[in-house]
Amino acid sequence: MIKETIYNLRRQPVVAAITIVGTALSIFLIMVFVMMNQVKVSPFAPESNRDRFMHYNWVSFRMINWDEGDSSNGPMSWRIVNELFYTFKAAEAVTAYTPYPDIKSVGLTGERPCPTEVRETDVAYFDVFDFSFISGKPFSREDFEAGIPVAVIDSNVARNLFGTERAEGKTFLINGGEYRVSGVVKPVSPLAKRAYAQVWINTMSTDSPMTSWSEIGGRYTVTMLRPDGKSPDDFRADFAGHLESYKKNLEIMYCEIINHNRPYTQEQVVAGDYANIEPDVSSYRRIGYTIYAILLLVPAINLASMTHSRMRKRVSEMAVRRAFGATRLSVFMDIIAENMLVTLLGGAIGLLLSVIAAFGFSGLFFTPMYGNSLSPITVNPAMLLQWSTFGLALLFCFVLNMLSAGLPAIQMSRLNIVNSLRGGANK
Amino acid sequence: MKRKLFKQIRAEWRTNVWLALELLVVSVVLWYIIDYFYTTASIMVKPLGYDVEHCYKLMFNTVTDKSPSYIPDRTTEEDIADAREILSRMEHLPFVEAASISHNSHPYNGSSSGIKLRYDTIYNPHYLPNKMVTPGFLKVFRCVGLGGETPEQLAGIIERNELILGGNVFFDKRYLPENMIGCKFYCDNDTTMTITLGAAIKPMRDSEYVEWGNTAITGMTDIGYTYASEYCVRVFPDKDTNIEEQLMNMSESLFHVGNRLLVNVTSFKNIRQNYQQAQANQVRDMVFLMCFLLLNIFLGLFGTFWFRTQQRSQEIAIRIAMGASRGDIFRRLLSEGLILLLLITPVAVAFDCFMAFNELNTYSMDGYFITDRMIVTCGATFVLIALMIVGGIWIPADKARRVEPAITLKDE
Repeated sequence: MIKETIYNLRRQPVVAAITIVGTALSIFLIMVFVMMNQVKVSPFAPESNRDRFMHYNWVSFRMINWDEGDSSNGPMSWRIVNELFYTFKAAEAVTAYTPYPDIKSVGLTGERPCPTEVRETDVAYFDVFDFSFISGKPFSREDFEAGIPVAVIDSNVARNLFGTERAEGKTFLINGGEYRVSGVVKPVSPLAKRAYAQVWINTMSTDSPMTSWSEIGGRYTVTMLRPDGKSPDDFRADFAGHLESYKKNLEIMYCEIINHNRPYTQEQVVAGDYANIEPDVSSYRRIGYTIYAILLLVPAINLASMTHSRMRKRVSEMAVRRAFGATRLSVFMDIIAENMLVTLLGGAIGLLLSVIAAFGFSGLFFTPMYGNSLSPITVNPAMLLQWSTFGLALLFCFVLNMLSAGLPAIQMSRLNIVNSLRGGANK
Repeated sequence: MKRKLFKQIRAEWRTNVWLALELLVVSVVLWYIIDYFYTTASIMVKPLGYDVEHCYKLMFNTVTDKSPSYIPDRTTEEDIADAREILSRMEHLPFVEAASISHNSHPYNGSSSGIKLRYDTIYNPHYLPNKMVTPGFLKVFRCVGLGGETPEQLAGIIERNELILGGNVFFDKRYLPENMIGCKFYCDNDTTMTITLGAAIKPMRDSEYVEWGNTAITGMTDIGYTYASEYCVRVFPDKDTNIEEQLMNMSESLFHVGNRLLVNVTSFKNIRQNYQQAQANQVRDMVFLMCFLLLNIFLGLFGTFWFRTQQRSQEIAIRIAMGASRGDIFRRLLSEGLILLLLITPVAVAFDCFMAFNELNTYSMDGYFITDRMIVTCGATFVLIALMIVGGIWIPADKARRVEPAITLKDE
């Protein structure tokens, strides 16, 4: 079969080349698109739990004396984190952290400090996100509760400050205040939006827990881990019940929380990370499907026309096969299989090109929205090459093959043997 | 000649149907993309209402209470005085043209604060962002008054604690702010809090990609200084070199006032790029998709016509032998592709119109279906596809032109 396919391709090199280039182009763009989506939604360290993330990204609330429809939307206060989220037992873990890293002055005494991105976190943050520690460990619960100034830093910062990655126990300055290094982690790509920072500090060592407006608004965003086996909808329902039981505390504060069906899954947050609107996942998916459809359909029409042209030259061969007893199904399957080899070849080239492009031009393809980050956008094989990537590439090749070869193969299998051998059905 | 051409197109209907189908799909999708580019470009060329060239933002943090330089028990009055001192120091820098402090106000800003304004029965029905600024803000971002006021004059209005309004904030052409100068507005439903309208300015658009941009501008309150975090400067164009570095070098000596410390300086070029990244990403995706579609048209026509000229080499040879010029052969093949495009164009335009009527294309404040825009975008789609068709057929047609009748027919 393979020999025969190669022979046929060689006989019509230009048409064969165009078929392969067309397939490669289609699979290339589809896979780039898949990867662009993958870095936002699929799990990779340190956001390996993305499948189970339930984000309460922002809080929406209104004071009861406000006009109808008025609301305040944004990060939440430490009080709400403590009273509403840390008490929610249906979650496997709950972490509160500042939504974006802040740029702060980081340096050593007597040296010029360097602008560095610092995120404030709690202790559970290091359970929810799986950082790779090079040395040391996350700060302890005791240090956290006592408000001790401790920090986890990435290895680049460690090297810049101390000339070594083994910096555990050393001290440095953040905005003039002394911090002790409790651990050093591998640098995180800004594409892991919630884990990314260069330095992670104990939030209790700052004034953030005291910062709030109307008791509800503050400086934190929350991510919870959904237990295995519980669906997002069930989890949301549990949370709605929990919020209901907290209502009397809110009444004392003269306000109410507008829940907007929170908490959200990772995909929901990617579909729209707005503070006052519920994300529209179905519209987000629809756009995605439309793009896949265009990327598959246009080349499929093209390739179908090519396949049709290639088959025209082989009408009599097919007729001979049929005359010697080949069934319609076997002729159909042969053409599909033969075409699948070509599609797979083009698909492999396309996939390879997409991986090269993803690594070579990661800044171009993966620049996140509002991604003002001091670190360059980096991707690693674990982020881009997952089993699902290959699975999807194969699936798209198969769909492309069926779309482009299906109709010509049906036509060929229905050829009238006598006319074809005579040359009459040469259409 | 033409009749024969149509006959031939009919004779090859099977492959031509594929081609026509492809041209139709591509034409509709391409029109959507071109319509998107057209709308985006026409929004981008509109005046922004401000200018961020040579502007920088200074980010201040509070020194932590663990720092030896931390001053405990700083009073609110002292904190306000610290902010004013920083503003004064920024203004006195030799390379600085203007400086300001503001809250949720500078261009390319994800955050905003709102205000409710009422004059008699006239009020803003929708959320109206309010920029709380020091007078220098109008000079830093060079806002322009609709009555021809200069940034300096506008700064004077904020100095007098008057209100500045942009564009059509009441969404009613009868009540344009420019005709209401001197009117006293109630703020936030409080009849004891009034503010006089001092000027109307050109709308400050949200970003290059957004048409919308209505705003109110009010003066900084005393308490505002304690939480306002936007410290912005405009530097003289001839001195705009290495500003970030120069300012950061003054971090400890000049910009550590009270408990505030300068931690970073960013140019507005960076802030703009960051703020508009989502739209820039969308433009990038559209460019990719457009190239992909055009390349497919090119490949499809190239492949089909390569095959056709191979099949028809004897026919072409006979034509040449019978006296057809080589140019005729070339033109004839090109016309085959172009006629297909002409045939599908009415259908494609019908689809395009259907999409525009159903508001499936890109939104602009003028609407979805605008005749001029429709003509330009459909025309551009046609021309682009036609160019790709010519490009795709060129090589096979050129090959056909070079057919040597004697050799081809001898083989026969």
